[in-house]
Amino acid sequence: MTGGAAFWGVAVFLALLHFALRVGFGVGEWSPDLLAVGLLVAALRLPVAMAAGLGLAFGVIEDALSILSFGANAMALTIVGILGSWSREFFVGGSVVFLVSYFTIGVWFRGVLHWFISGRSVGEETVRLLLLDMPLAALYGAGVGTLLLVLAGLLGDSGYGEGNGNAVRLGRGA
Amino acid sequence: MDSYEWGKGSVRRQVRLLPPLAVLLLSAILMILPRPAQEGISRAIRGSVLAPFLGIQESLQRFRLQASETGELQVKLDAAEALIHSQSALAEENRRLRELLALRDRSTATYVPASLLRAGTLGSESMFLLDAGRRDGVMVNVPVTTAAGLIGVTREVGPRRALAMDWTHPDFRASAMTEDGSVFGIVESRGGGMPDAARLMLNGVPFRTEVADGTPVVTSGRGAIYPRGIPIGHVVGLAEIEAGWRRSYWIEPVAHPGSAMHVLVLTGEDTEGEESTGPGDAPALAGTGSTGTADPAGPPAPSAADTTSPVAPPAADTTAPVAPPSPPGEAAPSPAEVP
Repeated sequence: MTGGAAFWGVAVFLALLHFALRVGFGVGEWSPDLLAVGLLVAALRLPVAMAAGLGLAFGVIEDALSILSFGANAMALTIVGILGSWSREFFVGGSVVFLVSYFTIGVWFRGVLHWFISGRSVGEETVRLLLLDMPLAALYGAGVGTLLLVLAGLLGDSGYGEGNGNAVRLGRGA
Repeated sequence: MDSYEWGKGSVRRQVRLLPPLAVLLLSAILMILPRPAQEGISRAIRGSVLAPFLGIQESLQRFRLQASETGELQVKLDAAEALIHSQSALAEENRRLRELLALRDRSTATYVPASLLRAGTLGSESMFLLDAGRRDGVMVNVPVTTAAGLIGVTREVGPRRALAMDWTHPDFRASAMTEDGSVFGIVESRGGGMPDAARLMLNGVPFRTEVADGTPVVTSGRGAIYPRGIPIGHVVGLAEIEAGWRRSYWIEPVAHPGSAMHVLVLTGEDTEGEESTGPGDAPALAGTGSTGTADPAGPPAPSAADTTSPVAPPAADTTAPVAPPSPPGEAAPSPAEVP
């Protein structure tokens, strides 16, 4: 598994950066959802169970800062970890476009899952939030995550398509 | 792929699914844990993994306060001193009138100043951390105010920090009344759970009662959480009418959680020097490091008599005295008349 340690390093770095920016420096929404991006980076290499476990751990830490929806982040990130790792079975890809798409969908899905799991009421603003604000925030996070992978020299080493021979090749490929 | 290989792969896949499903089940269990267990986990994580990050924000907040607000604090101090001088005669008059009417002394409530910290993570919208906790006397379900008025209520309290929700939270409710005590209702947050779009609504106003735009709304002291007289906002228009039943009004809040950096947290009643207190008796306020008077009826619910005596809002500043409420049975004076 080439670059495994580097993937772990990037994932942990992103998680630390997430809490440093959002909790430490109080940057809030200006900071992208690097926790989800970090999980998705790790899911590129980890087995499904470990990705789920990492999602659970990340989620519980974030849930420590929310009272009334405790567990929502844990469940959302667990599902994202499972699907992120599982998706290697079905797709092959390592291009920038592919990774940006992977991160965008993952981060957006995490937001949507959290929204529904935490039992938010559905109102006029919900559609705008789910279909405009969240995708834009996800794209922002995806851009930052991809950039970090590029900087770490891990772009062509995403691990996609390692699941089985039936994976669909997307983009330029690894 | 022939059917045998397909079947073998299917079984293998099912076996591989078990561990992630177990983790998923664990995450679901987290959601349905009893509140004390959830709080215990949260507290442990905040006190360990997140402690360095929270420490950074606390330090930054202190630095910001010290660096940017010196001039502003001086202005507030001057205003507070002027207020104290102007109200000293009222205090003396009030004391003599109380003696004449054989009314009991006011109980006092203490407030502790705290810095407000924002987590900024998903799910923490409408929540904030305070750098004061059980060691400072902060308790669960006590109001958090700024110089302008009410911004929220504590929900979890640890030794050094407390977690609170602000009025933009969908679960926020406060028993309220107009400042003159003529109209009572419940103030609740509206905005579908999105803090940016959150507004306050005064609900449950009797159908035949109209409230003019601009009318100040304060906490009524009914219920067990909010003391009487904390400013909430001003009426800015009619929101809903349920024919023959009730009216609702939009409220423009006076305190905006997003811009708050420094807050006051009610820490309890101080019975020192107190002759006796009743549930509706008006407490005074004594801030940590700075004192004033305020109106917290405190955790105990006020008596029926108390609900007829509107009072002035609490802390205008950590250094400013604020008028306490009237005791039970006392006539309803205007807020300005109560020292």
